[in-house]
Amino acid sequence: MFLKFSLRSVFYGAGGGNDIQWCFSQVKGAVDDDVAEADIISTVEFNHSGELLATGDKGGRVVIFQQEQENKIQSHSRGEYNVYSTFQSHEPEFDYLKSLEIEEKINKIRWLPQKNAAQFLLSTNDKTIKLWKISERDKRPEGYNLKEEDGRYRDPTTVTTLRVPVFRPMDLMVEASPRRIFANAHTYHINSISINSDYETYLSADDLRINLWHLEITDRSFNIVDIKPANMEELTEVITAAEFHPNSCNTFVYSSSKGTIRLCDMRASALCDRHSKLFEEPEDPSNRSFFSEIISSISDVKFSHSGRYMMTRDYLSVKIWDLNMENRPVETYQVHEYLRSKLCSLYENDCIFDKFECCWNGSDSVVMTGSYNNFFRMFDRNTKRDITLEASRENNKPRTVLKPRKVCASGKRKKDEISVDSLDFNKKILHTAWHPKENIIAVATTNNLYIFQDKVN
Amino acid sequence: MECALDAQSLISISLRKIHSSRTQRGGIKLHKNLLVSYVLRNARQLYLSERYAELYRRQQQQQQQQQQPPHHQHQHLAYAAPGMTASAADFGPLQLGGGGDAEAREPAARHQLHQLHQLHQLHLQQQLHQHQHPAPRGCAAAAAGAPAGGAGALSELPGCAALQPPHGAPHRGQPLEPLQPGPAPLPPPAPAALCPRDPRASAACSAPSAPPGAAPQAAAAASPPASPAPASSSGFYRGAYPAPSDFGVHCSSQTTVLDLDTHVVTTVENGYLHQDCCASAHCPCCGHGAPGPGLASAAGCKRKYYPGQEEEEDDDDDAGDLGAEPPGGATFAPCKRARFEDFCPDSSPDASNISNLISIFGSGFSGLVSRQPDSSEQPPPLNGQLCAKQALASLGAWTRAIVAF
Repeated sequence: MFLKFSLRSVFYGAGGGNDIQWCFSQVKGAVDDDVAEADIISTVEFNHSGELLATGDKGGRVVIFQQEQENKIQSHSRGEYNVYSTFQSHEPEFDYLKSLEIEEKINKIRWLPQKNAAQFLLSTNDKTIKLWKISERDKRPEGYNLKEEDGRYRDPTTVTTLRVPVFRPMDLMVEASPRRIFANAHTYHINSISINSDYETYLSADDLRINLWHLEITDRSFNIVDIKPANMEELTEVITAAEFHPNSCNTFVYSSSKGTIRLCDMRASALCDRHSKLFEEPEDPSNRSFFSEIISSISDVKFSHSGRYMMTRDYLSVKIWDLNMENRPVETYQVHEYLRSKLCSLYENDCIFDKFECCWNGSDSVVMTGSYNNFFRMFDRNTKRDITLEASRENNKPRTVLKPRKVCASGKRKKDEISVDSLDFNKKILHTAWHPKENIIAVATTNNLYIFQDKVN
Repeated sequence: MECALDAQSLISISLRKIHSSRTQRGGIKLHKNLLVSYVLRNARQLYLSERYAELYRRQQQQQQQQQQPPHHQHQHLAYAAPGMTASAADFGPLQLGGGGDAEAREPAARHQLHQLHQLHQLHLQQQLHQHQHPAPRGCAAAAAGAPAGGAGALSELPGCAALQPPHGAPHRGQPLEPLQPGPAPLPPPAPAALCPRDPRASAACSAPSAPPGAAPQAAAAASPPASPAPASSSGFYRGAYPAPSDFGVHCSSQTTVLDLDTHVVTTVENGYLHQDCCASAHCPCCGHGAPGPGLASAAGCKRKYYPGQEEEEDDDDDAGDLGAEPPGGATFAPCKRARFEDFCPDSSPDASNISNLISIFGSGFSGLVSRQPDSSEQPPPLNGQLCAKQALASLGAWTRAIVAF
């Protein structure tokens, strides 16, 4: 059940400059602290226009929110997001051959660009990708000759006249139907899907392989990357994320657990095991620790909208790479460097394996990623300023701008600062999304979805 | 937020994670287990280098002692003890035969050092020739160098089993007896935790008899010694690992890989070094008398596997001596064999091997779990100790705690 909090925050008066001031807008999800495992949000994605916002959860459900179309001249803020459609995308399965239970958790959702009245999205769990059609129905035919309005068949002998059924308006109904099911192509766990700019093909990546699909063809896919060694004992790295270039339909990248990103050109050969470019930053030897391999593993890779840059997220930092420079990133932002001394504890409680995602804003000037204690961070690439905000019900009152947070790494804690040791590592923000055109962000805590927008004068 | 950043605890934590990942929903996650194995490797490298350094330092001290008059030896020892790190102190009883005289200690320590050198060389060799010479050269070479009697000190070292003197060979009992839970003279404490499929090799396996008893003794410096199932463990080990009738026969190891794409089971011959089962002084399990829950079966016994079938004990395992073990191994998962891997800490990580179980991780094949998932919550103490101790005692080249078969 979703509780809708309609808290519009309108801020008049001072404020200004070029800095965005973020205001609480809405929060979706259960209020109580007892989090049902099935409600844990596992992916968040805006569609290409930003009108629709999809979330997937551990229970295999997809919930789509739609932004209200408001009269922009009149309103003081942008439209709210309300539930548009909810459906069960994936069910738990059992692979009897391997005695393997397949989780129904939705790993990724990717929207297709809209071509007609219906919306299409791809959703995937560990093994199966599904293409869903979400369509509206607001009319229905009435006036059948052989059927009553409730569907019962009439006795034909009672039919004395004929009429032509006509469409009459009805309450809007949003239907989701699976149009394609792409199954049995992945031996390992799928971590990424990405739709090609040709809008006909897409890729799906698991730990060791990447497959190329055609959206219309479900019984076949092409394997384009295979890093499985002949002898599994020699395995040293796995694929962690993959994405198509936003403009070049022949180009895609994939990141590895070793902190490298490979850019591949599908024109070069059918099997893209040999990369065209290899992006890797040499490790700083002074930072070497037991956990160096873990924290260098890339958890997410995202192209900028322009296609010139790509962003990677590892455990402690966000890096921006220029596609023309392979030997080091052009920008590096520390997300929560204060955790570096806590890696051992984070290893013990498994937090070090958390896979944070990252996202660009529409103009590629700001990047955002999540952290612990329900904090999320934004880095402005132009001003080089960063901000830490918190997604929390308690701290958000209507009509207030989100207050920046600060974590005190060590030493004397100032007022309003939070010490590292009092961070709640169970409250993590792994998934965030930025509206493609406007300053509206969706931030997923464990089981709640927060929507923030910049203040509108 | 503080946690013990020492190699031993990291190793045991990592083993626990790998083991519990078997029963997690959704199957074994290849990525996470790969990362955990890197931590294991790093911790092991540190542990190795620490031990090596300590051993060398001990060696130096003993050389100094040798030049002292005998009645000063105890003083020296006493002098040395406070200066030792905890790990070094743990070395003491095992290596030197807790309380034995210096005469026994000194050659033992020297012998250990010598074997460490050899092992190091062997590792490097094997790393170079890994693919060309699957047969284990190391054990044979090491065996050649191992004098009888000094093997008592090997309980501390993950020496090749072939290094151990044969069953019943006369040895200076004093290093061993304090380690035994009972008064009976038992075979050398260094067990081959591994039962090669090769009958030739099985002959070379020493009888690991003392480790559970040894470890608590060794851990005395760290914590009150516990005796986790000493007698039965000894019995088990003896049964599971036939005593070496021959000394110097090199051991071979086989590891079995399940390719989860093709579902082909292949057996890979590999050189490897036997590990000391439960000989480590540092095993937290032994020290605390409680097994780590869900500690993975570390390198150790081999296990036959056929796709689609329940795992069964290997023929070489002497099931008779296993006593209480029910058929099908429901309560005990024999430890897996150590995998050979490059030893040199400076070597490129790319050269390191991944346990064959990694290939199974992706499939999440629960057949590799020797017992039902619901009973995995109470692993037999034996298993937990075995695995953790093996891991800690291992100088063998392995990064992953779980080796398939």
